[in-house]
Amino acid sequence: MADSQRSYFALSESKLDIKKLKQELENAHAGALVTFEGWVRNHNEGQPVERLDYEAFETLAETEGNQIIQEALARFEIDDAICLHRTGRLIIGDCAVWVGVTAAHRDAAFQAARYIIDDIKTRLPIWKKEHYKNGEAVWVNCQQCAHGHIRHEEAIHLHARDSQLASSPTQRVAINETEYYQRQVILPQIGADGQRKLQEARVLVVGAGGLGSSALLHLAGAGVGQIGICEFDCLEVSNLHRQILYSAADVGQSKASLAAKRLHEFNPNIRVVVHAEKLESTGLAPLLEQYDLILDCTDTISTRLMMNDAAVMLQKPLIQAGVYQYEGQIHLIAPGMGGCLRCQWPDNMEPDAPGTCMQSGVLGAVPGLFGTLQAMEAIKWLVGLPTPLSDHVLILDLLSYQQHLIRRTSQPDCSVCGRFHEQQLDHQLTQERLAEVPTEESDSVWQLIFTGAPLRLTQFTLIDVNESREHSPIPDLTVQNIPFSRFELDHPPPLDKEKQYLLYCSKGVRSAHLVRELRKRGFTNVFALAGGQAKQDLAELRKLELEKANLYYVRH
Amino acid sequence: MTGPAASSPKEIRIQYYALLREERGLSDETLMTEAITPRELYAWLKAQHGFSLSSDRLRVAVNNSFSEWEQPLQTNDTVVFIPPVAGG
Repeated sequence: MADSQRSYFALSESKLDIKKLKQELENAHAGALVTFEGWVRNHNEGQPVERLDYEAFETLAETEGNQIIQEALARFEIDDAICLHRTGRLIIGDCAVWVGVTAAHRDAAFQAARYIIDDIKTRLPIWKKEHYKNGEAVWVNCQQCAHGHIRHEEAIHLHARDSQLASSPTQRVAINETEYYQRQVILPQIGADGQRKLQEARVLVVGAGGLGSSALLHLAGAGVGQIGICEFDCLEVSNLHRQILYSAADVGQSKASLAAKRLHEFNPNIRVVVHAEKLESTGLAPLLEQYDLILDCTDTISTRLMMNDAAVMLQKPLIQAGVYQYEGQIHLIAPGMGGCLRCQWPDNMEPDAPGTCMQSGVLGAVPGLFGTLQAMEAIKWLVGLPTPLSDHVLILDLLSYQQHLIRRTSQPDCSVCGRFHEQQLDHQLTQERLAEVPTEESDSVWQLIFTGAPLRLTQFTLIDVNESREHSPIPDLTVQNIPFSRFELDHPPPLDKEKQYLLYCSKGVRSAHLVRELRKRGFTNVFALAGGQAKQDLAELRKLELEKANLYYVRH
Repeated sequence: MTGPAASSPKEIRIQYYALLREERGLSDETLMTEAITPRELYAWLKAQHGFSLSSDRLRVAVNNSFSEWEQPLQTNDTVVFIPPVAGG
C-alpha cells in the first residue's frame, strides 16, 4: 500500500536496535514479516578485515532510500517496509543494514525485501572503507589493495528505471567491436560493408514480448547501430516462459527498461532508445519517421493493421510476424513490394479474432523462432540480400514442419497501398498533359509532379530560383532563394550528395533549364518542379501533405 | 532557466566524499568555473588534482539529485561526483 505511515528509510550513526525496528512493523493484518540483515564480514580475498568505515552523502542517500521504499510499496502487495543503513565505524559482526517488510503473504514480502536491498546497494551514495589487520585500507570498488585486486563486492550496474538512463548508461564495459562481429563479417554476404550498413541502421521494434525478445537479441548481436524499443507493459510472471529477455527477479518492472538494460549488457556498442509508451495512432508518424525499418512484434490485430497503414503511408519497410499455437507467419511489407496487410484484410477486424496467447496458449519456442526470423529478415533487408518474402508470406507449422511460401500481390483497389498505385499512374498521365513545359523524353525523370503521396516535398531541399523580388516564403516549408540571374552553372552552390534538391520558379522554365544543365554536369540529385508554381502551388501541396497525414490519424 | 549556457564564470559548490575527499584533501569547496557541464568541470578538477577515478566510473549529482553529465551548470549549483558505491 503506497500510503503506509510506518514505512521509511533512514541512516543511523549508532548501532541498530533491531528489536525496536521489528516492533515498529507489528501489524495484525500481516501474515508475514521478512527481514534481511547485512553483516560485516571478516575477510576479503585472503586479507583479514579489522573494521569498516561507512560514509554517506546523506541528503541524497535519504532521498533515494525513501524513493526505493516507495517504489517497493507501489510494486509489491506489501503492508510496510523499513530500511536502516549504518554510517560511521563498524566492526566484524556488526549489522550494517537492516530491511524489514510486512505483508499479508510471504511471496510479496520476500520479493519486496530483495528489491529493496538490491537497489539500496546499487543506487545509494554510500561508501565503505575496509581497514585490514596489516594496516592497509581501501575504498571498496574504487581502489586496489596491496595484492593488486580491486575490491569488488558486487558488479556495479545501473537499474534503467527510466528511458533517459536506459539510453545513456554511465557504466559501460569496453568491448572490441571488430572482435565482437568477427564471425559474421567473414561471411561473403556481410563483410565490412554489410557490417557498416547494420551499424548505420535504425530499427524500431514494437513489442518486447515473446517475438520481441528474440528479435531484439539478434538485432543487437548483429550490431544494428540504433535499436528502438516500444513497449509499455510491466513484467508479469506468466510472461517469463516465452519472453527470454527477462529474469524472474525482474517481475513488476518496466519491460522497456529491462529490455534496454539487457541489450546494453549483451552489446555495449549499440545505442538503445526506449519508448515506454502505448502506441497510439497520433504518436505513430513522429515515432516511425525516426527509423529506417520497423519490426512489428505485437500481439493484437488492430495494432498490426495500424502499423501496416502507418508504414505504407510513411514508406517505411515493415516486418511483421504472428503466431498461433504451434504455427506462425512472417510478412515483409515494403514500398513497391507485394502489397500490404490491408490487401488481405481490408476492414478492421474484431479485436480478439484470432486468439491471443492468453486465450489460445503458446510454447515459448514458437514466438522465439519467429522473432528470430524477423531479425533475420531485418538483417537481410539492411544488408541488401534478396528474400522471397518480398512478395510471399511464409507460414510455418512447428509441429509438422509444413512450410508454405504463399505469393502476395498488391490489390490495386487496396484502400491503403492501392492508392499509391493509382497515383503512380496519375503521375504519368499528368506528365503528358503538361504540354507547356518543353520536355524531351529524358526530361520526365527529373520533372516532378506532387500529388500528396508518395513523393513528398519534405524529401527535398527546396531552392527557389525566382529573382528576389518574385520570391516569397512558403508556410511549413524551408526554402532557399538563389536567383536565376545569380546562379553560376560553372560554380554552382554547394550541393550535398546525400540530399535531393528541388528547384522551382514561377513558370518552371528557368528551373528546368538549370536542372537540365546541372544534370549534364553530373549532378543527378537535382529535380525541377514541373510547370513551376503556376501549375503546382507549393503552399497548397504542403497543406495537402499535412492533411493526408492527419486524415490517417482520424481513421483510427 | 536563467540564461544561455555560455562559458561565463559561475560560482559552483563542490562536495567530495570517500576516495575523492581523500584525494582532494577537503570535503567542500566553492570555486568560479567556466565549465559548462559537470563533465567539463570534472575533467578540469581531475587534471588539477590528479584524481585517480575517471569520469566513466562516477555518477554526478547536482543540487541533491542524480543528474546527467551533459546537463548545463547554473551558478550556485552544488555538484557532487559520486565514486562507485558500496552500500549494504
